[in-house]
Amino acid sequence: MRTTQFFALAAAGVLATAGVAGCSDSDKGDPAAGGGPIVVKASDTACEVGSTDLGAGTATFKITNSGAKVTEFYVYADGDRVMGEVENIAPGLSRELHVELPAGTYETACKPGMSGKGIRGALKVSGSAQPLTADAALGDATDNYQRYIKSQTAALLDKTEEFVGAVKAGDVAKSKALYPVARTYWERIEPVAEIFGDLDPKIDGREEVIEEGMEFTGFHRIEKDLWQSGDISKDGPIADRLLVDVKEIVAKANAEKLSPLQLANGAKELLDEVASGKITGEEDRYSHTDLWDFAANLEGSKAAVSALRPALQQRSPELVTQLDTEFANVEALLGKHRDGDGWKLHTALSKTELKELSDGINALAEPISKVAAAVAK
Amino acid sequence: MFATYLIGLREGLEATLVVSILVAFLVKSQRRDRLPQVWAGVGLAVVLSVLFGWLIEYTSTSLLARSEDRELFEAITSVAAVVFVTWMIFWMRRAARTIAGELRGKLTEALAVGSLAVAGMAFLAVIREGLETALIFYSAAQGASGDSGPLLALIGGIVTAVMLGVLLYASALRINLTKFFTWTGALLILVAAGILKYGVHDFQEAGVLPGLNNLAFDITSTLDPSTWYAALLAGMFNVTPAPTVLETIAWVGYAVPVLLLFLRPARRKPTPTATTTPVTERGADTGTEAEAESASTPQRA
Repeated sequence: MRTTQFFALAAAGVLATAGVAGCSDSDKGDPAAGGGPIVVKASDTACEVGSTDLGAGTATFKITNSGAKVTEFYVYADGDRVMGEVENIAPGLSRELHVELPAGTYETACKPGMSGKGIRGALKVSGSAQPLTADAALGDATDNYQRYIKSQTAALLDKTEEFVGAVKAGDVAKSKALYPVARTYWERIEPVAEIFGDLDPKIDGREEVIEEGMEFTGFHRIEKDLWQSGDISKDGPIADRLLVDVKEIVAKANAEKLSPLQLANGAKELLDEVASGKITGEEDRYSHTDLWDFAANLEGSKAAVSALRPALQQRSPELVTQLDTEFANVEALLGKHRDGDGWKLHTALSKTELKELSDGINALAEPISKVAAAVAK
Repeated sequence: MFATYLIGLREGLEATLVVSILVAFLVKSQRRDRLPQVWAGVGLAVVLSVLFGWLIEYTSTSLLARSEDRELFEAITSVAAVVFVTWMIFWMRRAARTIAGELRGKLTEALAVGSLAVAGMAFLAVIREGLETALIFYSAAQGASGDSGPLLALIGGIVTAVMLGVLLYASALRINLTKFFTWTGALLILVAAGILKYGVHDFQEAGVLPGLNNLAFDITSTLDPSTWYAALLAGMFNVTPAPTVLETIAWVGYAVPVLLLFLRPARRKPTPTATTTPVTERGADTGTEAEAESASTPQRA
């Protein structure tokens, strides 16, 4: 029989370890490990969560309702996806919630009176619960990234279909609006695309491919017609081919399982892409929508690193901290150039601003280039 | 305290409503021999709920300890319960027609139903809410050393729900047979639609179905979930103040066609004068005369 004193002690221990950034020791989960549940004090007006920085794995919350209304307790992921919930916590009672939480950011919520959005609070889950075997953490990374690829390729296919539809309908304005959006999904998964040889230049080749004896097709060919001549009446076959190529790459990408090392290199390649193509403005030389691609490359790189995170946390926690700092820095720099839902055009940025972005990318490239070595440890 | 009482009432009603109609139906159609199976189903569900609740509360079992697993468990048992209850609804309709058609001899035949089905229905009706109720009960019991109020309130709520079930059963026995089938059938359809809606909501909470935050409407301001009438509505028909779109579609998509099918007029028969003699069936074989009379009452849709 567990006693309240024990909970109080455990809670004090949890509070003591909370707030340590990147704290990766498990403060819950396996009861055999001696960790007590996270105490949540709920009332009609408050929702105090004892610890808001946890290790990944199974978390146990013990919610005590001191209010006069029946309450509910939820753990939400992004977009209010329910990770776990416990309902019917009557006044004066305590109930427990066991919920499995992978690393990420979440929100906790108490709902006094069982209605409304509830009293929200942030919850950070990092690291991994118990030292998984090295291979298991890396295996998870591969699986995680594959899920990411799956979601991005599905969106890529949707948006490309829309884009191709607009091009074939001769709707220049709509095509122009969809062009950077469809490319966003493409640019996020570019390292995967590059594995498939000549599909990449077919879809994403710039005019220079002609010099290599290839035909100039794909996104950039349509971009040129859209922004330079404004005449896309002959682009139907090009658009059709683009869709066929994208479909093929989507099927291949979903069938492919990237190794952790490929993930690490992919994260690096995406940054090189930013430095060589986006900051220079070469990539989207007609439309100047380079910042869309910039943001997408950055997101793709971050997704690859996130997938490797639990493994990196074990091997090199200080590298994880460094990566977090540099990613946040570049995101802040890029954030300055937001424009509504999208981004400013490349041409609207001054030399100083581009230099600033370039420095940020270089600063991030430094820890990213160490990821592969850390993974291979 | 009252809030805790309402939890007991709501959770209790979700389980007792189907069981009391099922028992009334079996007694009404002279299938008392099926009653032991009903109680066996109910008993098994209660025992399993108590046992599982205990395992989750006092041991480090991982079986159903995660909330998603429990949502999924409730969702699956709810949907299974809907299947059984739907089948029972049409079983009642057939019985009603048989009686309306004065084919008394065929009644038993029409009601030849597996014991397993009856026991299964009773079991599912109780188990789907039993586990959650057991967990609330344990949490109240654990707090009882300091304050036994919540525990008593919870038990009071469950007892009230059972009493309402008994009341429903008793009043259902009083109405004449044909009316009984029509009314309890219609009531059961609303209950089943509620159970289905509940199951869909749990599938959404378990992350199996999307659209949990996509609300059809939100009348929380008019129908405050912490009031007694909201608890009653939720317990009986699962009417909630802020349902999701998918839940609402499930409810309407079930209730409307089933109600139409159920209430569509049976084959027309020449109608003798109707009687409205109430039938009471306290004993096994009393009231057969009266019933024979009322059996000639045509079924009106």
